[in-house]
Amino acid sequence: MSWKSSELDDLPKGLPEHLEIQRTRVICKNDAPIHTEGIQYSGAYASSGVDNTISFEKFSKDFKIEVIRLTEDEMEFDMVGIDASIANAFRRILIAEVPTMAIEKVFVVDNTSPIADESLAHRLGLIPINADPRLFEYLSENDVPNERNTIVYRMQVSCSKNSPQRLTVKSDKLEWLPEGSKLHEMVPGQQKTFTSFTNNQMEITKTPLGVKHEDITIARLGPGQAIELEAHAVKGIGKTHAKWSPVATAWYRMLPEVIFRKEIKGEEAVELVKKCPVKVFDIEDLANGEKKAVVARPRSCTLCRECIRGNTEEEIELRRVRDHFIFTIESASALPPEALFTEAVKILEEKCDRVLSELS
Amino acid sequence: MNAPDRYERFVVPEGTKKVSYERDTKIANAASFTVEREDHTIGNIVRMQLHRDPNVLFAGYKLPHPLQYKILVRIHTTGQSTLTQAYNLAINDLDNELQHLKKGFEDELMRFQER
Repeated sequence: MSWKSSELDDLPKGLPEHLEIQRTRVICKNDAPIHTEGIQYSGAYASSGVDNTISFEKFSKDFKIEVIRLTEDEMEFDMVGIDASIANAFRRILIAEVPTMAIEKVFVVDNTSPIADESLAHRLGLIPINADPRLFEYLSENDVPNERNTIVYRMQVSCSKNSPQRLTVKSDKLEWLPEGSKLHEMVPGQQKTFTSFTNNQMEITKTPLGVKHEDITIARLGPGQAIELEAHAVKGIGKTHAKWSPVATAWYRMLPEVIFRKEIKGEEAVELVKKCPVKVFDIEDLANGEKKAVVARPRSCTLCRECIRGNTEEEIELRRVRDHFIFTIESASALPPEALFTEAVKILEEKCDRVLSELS
Repeated sequence: MNAPDRYERFVVPEGTKKVSYERDTKIANAASFTVEREDHTIGNIVRMQLHRDPNVLFAGYKLPHPLQYKILVRIHTTGQSTLTQAYNLAINDLDNELQHLKKGFEDELMRFQER
């Protein structure tokens, strides 16, 4: 006769319900969330006879990705079964470590506009460029700028003296020079050329490398003012400067759960449905004419806690599922958001390899 | 004025090793790994993975100063596995998980685009 609790048939298996909720949910009370720490240790529930190991097989079984929305610029997808530290690592890498092209050096020939040289250069740097950074190499200090690591743009605008109104310079005035820098023509001097392009850049990129949005205002010129400059764009990452960040932003949130501890009926139910600003609740008409509140769209809950303020605090519980993350990525670079996420995973893999200790 | 150059956050200078480690003289099976030019992105993940290892008694990471770009990962193990083994096992497990994740994402993308 075996007395092991895992082998006795009539005893409940697994953790008791309240511990299971503590292990898998973050409970958001009125003032602060509780049980926010994830329990990774495999022997945490050893005294109850439950094994908490997260082996690779268990991870592959539980892991799921589901794409909810995918447009050219934005993507929303769900990842189930990963830990918060991995979700945060992806968010950090998407914002700061996926490379992009942005204007770094601006050679100003003529600038009589009301915007100072450095402000103009700052604004030019922040303009998103429609170039795939995977086709380019990094430019370091000792390298010569060539077609593999630099993109050259020229801007030549002037507002005529007789013009009745100011001229707005938009980003479509930046013209791409696939043959390299033409500064040596504009500035006669000893320097033969500022870049050494051997081939036409179009052969590498196959598509014209303009700016991503053509309607960004760069400067405004009054009559008689002019801007003539050449800008060189290079590859970089967001950690060096935010202009190289490929995303407008990338964020994640945990899947919300809204639980009724007590049934809410009648007048209270109608009030509750009105309270929620994102319409999480709905009214269900019962057979005897009474109204009951039900949770219709828990996923849109923003945790504003309006529903637990006041007298309904005891009746509703707001929870978050600890390993279910809803990611949103808004791309501001040439790459679509799904390519950005794939790059982010590759970068995290490379980081892990670099951090392996060679001492063994 | 005294801030270091931004590229120092990720470029390891000549002469310094990326990962170095110091054994703790007073406690058996304890050591501190110093990883140069890394931050919370990798530190938190390695700490989380080390917690899952049943042979690891203690695992933690810190950034000693936000302007010094390195992390200290402190690990105590039971006698069963050596320290570098535990550290490398954690990172290899992470690699497997990430590859599985990447494949899952690409499969799901293809499925979504066919819809």
